[in-house]
Amino acid sequence: HGCKARPLILASCQISNMSSRGTKQKKGNVTNEQEEEDQPLQAVLIADSFNRRFFPISKDQPRALLPLANVAMIDYTLEFLTSTGVQETFVFCCWMSNKIKDHLLNSKWCRPTSPNVVHIITSDLYRSLGDVLRDVDAKTLVRNDFILVYGDVVSNIDVSQALQEHRHRRKVDKNISVMTMVFKESSPGHKSRCEEDDVIVAMDSKSKRVLHYQKTQGLKKLQFPMNIFQHGSDEFEIRHDLLDCHISICSPQVAELFTDNFDYQTRNDFVRGILVNEEILGNQIHLYVTNEGYGARVSNLQMYDSVSSDLVRRWVYPLTPEANFTDQRGQGCAHSRHNVYRGAGVSLGHGSQMEENVLIGRDTSIGANCHISNSIIGNYCTIGDNVVLDRAYIWNNVHISNKVKIHQSVVCDGVLVKEAVLLNKQCVLAYNVVIGPNMSLPEGTVVSMHHPEEEEDDDDDEFLSDDQVVGNSKDKTKQKAFNPAEVGSEGKGYIWKASLDEAEDEELAQCIWGLVLNPDPDSDSESEASDGSQDMGSRSVSPEMDDVKVFQLEVLGTLQRGEEENIGCDNLVLEINSLKYAYNITLKEVMQILTKVVLEYPFQQQGTKLSSSQYTVLLLPLLKKWSPVFKNYIKRAQDHLDCLSAVEELFLEQETHQTAMVKVLMNMYQLEILEEDAILKWFSAGATTDKSRQLRKNQGLQKFIQWLKEAEDESSEEGE
Amino acid sequence: ENYHISWQDSRNRSETTLNNMPGADKETDLSERIEAFLADLKRGGSGTGPLRGSGEMARETTALLRRITAQARWSSAGDLMEIIRNEGRRMTAAQPSETTVGNMVRRVLKIIREEYARSRGSSEETDQQESLHKLLTSGGLSEENFRQHFASLKANVIEAINELLTELEGTTDNIAMQALEHIHSNEVIMTIGRSRTVEAFLKDAARKRKFHVIVAECAPFCQGHEMATSLSKAGIETTVIADAAIFAVMSRVNKVIIGTQTVLANGGLRAVNGTHTLALAAKHHSTPLIVCAPMFKLSPQFPNEEEIFHKFVSPHEVLPFTEGEILSKVNVHCPVFDYVPPELITLFISNIGGNAPSYIYRLMSELYHPEDHEL
Repeated sequence: HGCKARPLILASCQISNMSSRGTKQKKGNVTNEQEEEDQPLQAVLIADSFNRRFFPISKDQPRALLPLANVAMIDYTLEFLTSTGVQETFVFCCWMSNKIKDHLLNSKWCRPTSPNVVHIITSDLYRSLGDVLRDVDAKTLVRNDFILVYGDVVSNIDVSQALQEHRHRRKVDKNISVMTMVFKESSPGHKSRCEEDDVIVAMDSKSKRVLHYQKTQGLKKLQFPMNIFQHGSDEFEIRHDLLDCHISICSPQVAELFTDNFDYQTRNDFVRGILVNEEILGNQIHLYVTNEGYGARVSNLQMYDSVSSDLVRRWVYPLTPEANFTDQRGQGCAHSRHNVYRGAGVSLGHGSQMEENVLIGRDTSIGANCHISNSIIGNYCTIGDNVVLDRAYIWNNVHISNKVKIHQSVVCDGVLVKEAVLLNKQCVLAYNVVIGPNMSLPEGTVVSMHHPEEEEDDDDDEFLSDDQVVGNSKDKTKQKAFNPAEVGSEGKGYIWKASLDEAEDEELAQCIWGLVLNPDPDSDSESEASDGSQDMGSRSVSPEMDDVKVFQLEVLGTLQRGEEENIGCDNLVLEINSLKYAYNITLKEVMQILTKVVLEYPFQQQGTKLSSSQYTVLLLPLLKKWSPVFKNYIKRAQDHLDCLSAVEELFLEQETHQTAMVKVLMNMYQLEILEEDAILKWFSAGATTDKSRQLRKNQGLQKFIQWLKEAEDESSEEGE
Repeated sequence: ENYHISWQDSRNRSETTLNNMPGADKETDLSERIEAFLADLKRGGSGTGPLRGSGEMARETTALLRRITAQARWSSAGDLMEIIRNEGRRMTAAQPSETTVGNMVRRVLKIIREEYARSRGSSEETDQQESLHKLLTSGGLSEENFRQHFASLKANVIEAINELLTELEGTTDNIAMQALEHIHSNEVIMTIGRSRTVEAFLKDAARKRKFHVIVAECAPFCQGHEMATSLSKAGIETTVIADAAIFAVMSRVNKVIIGTQTVLANGGLRAVNGTHTLALAAKHHSTPLIVCAPMFKLSPQFPNEEEIFHKFVSPHEVLPFTEGEILSKVNVHCPVFDYVPPELITLFISNIGGNAPSYIYRLMSELYHPEDHEL
């Protein structure tokens, strides 16, 4: 993946001031713990979704600025952060960063009195959450635990409790816990649960540690690796009643881990990576489950629909439409019965009804005999007579003529809907489209001023410059004629079809309304689901043999290169780790293969006809050189035993060299790769076959064990 | 690191150093405080009504207004009133349901008017009783009269606000002191939810008398549970009942004593949800209904001002969010307040004594200047 070296544009000037402070306190130890808690709470807000889910709407306006109940989404996120006590927020923008910047500079967040200092950092090079966090690490922006959110999270959860738990864990366990994810309880079937984010989580009930984390992706059968239940406490919970709020409390290490593992793109990668490598890196992820408050991410239009309706129904209190928390002049509205909100200067024609859950922005006029329910209408709209709106989301400056019917659809800014148009469910009219008159749009129609084909043309340069893209698209729209059959005789716009190129993407179907549009019928699930789950399971539990072999060859190659080019052990570890991901190898196998490769290394180089003494002469320097690599992987008692069994296996194969085994073990013991307890345990317990029993009768080995036992006795006597 | 230091400073700065600061710094500090207060007000409400008691809210508002008086730039009483009116408007808009804030703004405006009049030498009495003729002639020109500059005005106003603060601090005690006049031995008292004033009132009576308190739990927030725990700790015999049982139990009750969020201009109440039921049940059984309400809860507002009257919070307490599909099929509402009409109320006990509901209008005209009713 292409990392272009280009300077990042820093939009904020205060950042350089703090970097010195950042490096100083990066490694927080016990003495400045108190100091850490006094430091302002920081947050990283990612004002980009890094996907095209909202295309074509987000072609003209970044997702973070789309209105949700007439307030830009990013304002909800900032209000959430501020009310939870965040005092410094870094907003990272990529797509249409200028618009976001302008919006923020004019908002209350950039006023001098704001309790939350907002820094805007823009770059065209961010392609994922991973890129942003790597940049956070490179600039050492965070000094302490921080909150990580997207710019489309709506929440009123008080995370201070979660933050406290997180800090406590870090204090007790010496920085083992790197992340605490905030989840909200809600039963399956809840409309605010995003189908794509549907997760199954296995966790330790006492410590709240995440043991297994898996997106269900509509599967009916799920498999859990057994090993997750074998250690830790004896109480586990497997939960499917959790809604991912996309709020995570991160330790500063999170940014470092993203830098170390350049293949992490999303938080999902990160969580999976941490859980799979838990033994190696010793990092853990915890969960905070709340049943109070509200938290959801607007990740597709389905979620847009449900979060909007939750806002109007006051689930996010005190973030209600009439609260005007953005403090903008004229934004206020009055709340009356049945959750009807009216902005200033709203006029309602004779015989019109606002049934329930209706929000109408300022200076909007509604004609006679209209029937409006469960809808949100923006500012400065004009709505004609005899209009029916149900679950319609109408943004600003929209003109709707007489006799229009709209059901569960989104109508963006500047749209003109002519007379007697019927919008069926899940239609989207993007910016400045004209539709009608006298026609009906079928379910799921998306109309945009952008021609669908232009997307591929500017695919490459769209990240480079906003202006360029806009210019391009304008030229092209002029060239192509509108199809009256699609948008009506006086209409303007093209039917938008989502390109299928990205179907392979992890983001599943790229449908703007999310998965719900095409739910899997229940009947087909059995066979498919089990296939899928096996697929998922095999990736984490038992990789296929081919992978193991290729991995072994790769490790060998890596070590050879390391030997030739004198590469440091740290880099070798890094490389082996990334190989491990590439081939999906479990930790145990990594260790066995590594041991095998190193011990076979002399044969590999000099041929198998070496004598035992020659072999040891060649091997011992290598062991010494690579001992840090071993130490990195061999930590717990089980690791030692696994390593020993790998050694045993090798020497069982190479029967002629069994005399060398003692020296290898001795050496590994002296290099502190293996502990004496482990060796003794292995010696006494491991013999299962005749051959290995034979192996243990080797005189040298017996003597070595004898010597170890005596050494242990002596040391214990001294201890007493 | 400049911004950082200033942040810390603004937290740690003590009141005494404030006066020594250069003017510009003072003003940013003041506006920071005002913004913080506004933000607090906007978030003020976790569902269980105000986060703090309204007494505390009143004191905080008054302290902030005193700070504005001391630190804002103004040369005449007219300027100051304009500043305070502007900020007051923003504060009431931030949380319309928190009427105490508006009341305190009105009290301070009244103080400024009085101090100005005193500085000019005219007595308060003559200024207050404006004749019909005077009203007609002076009309909109009244602001013009506040343009005169007096050096001592600032100190006088601040002193008067300090007096107001002292009065506020004593309100609960003043009300509790009257408890023995109203609660007699072996009576059965009913209350609803949790009011700090009523709590102090009952505890004060319990020092000398033995009586029984029945607390309606006040679902869905169930502050009644807290109230009952607190009362029983003070040695009062306490029973908690469900709200639905209010009518059934009422026949055994001698007196109903409740608190309120606001006393409206017509003598009605805006009190916690369920109070109307309680008041109607009391009326049916001819049980006296006593309202403990400090003077700062008197608001020149009438119950028909629908827009600011109600407060609906998250429906979570009524039907938890954790419920699944049902939530998309029903509408759930969770109002916080009830309106109780004045004819259901027997007596108000305020920090200056007991009054009938019909007398509230008179108290109101003594507390606030008629021109300040609309901020």
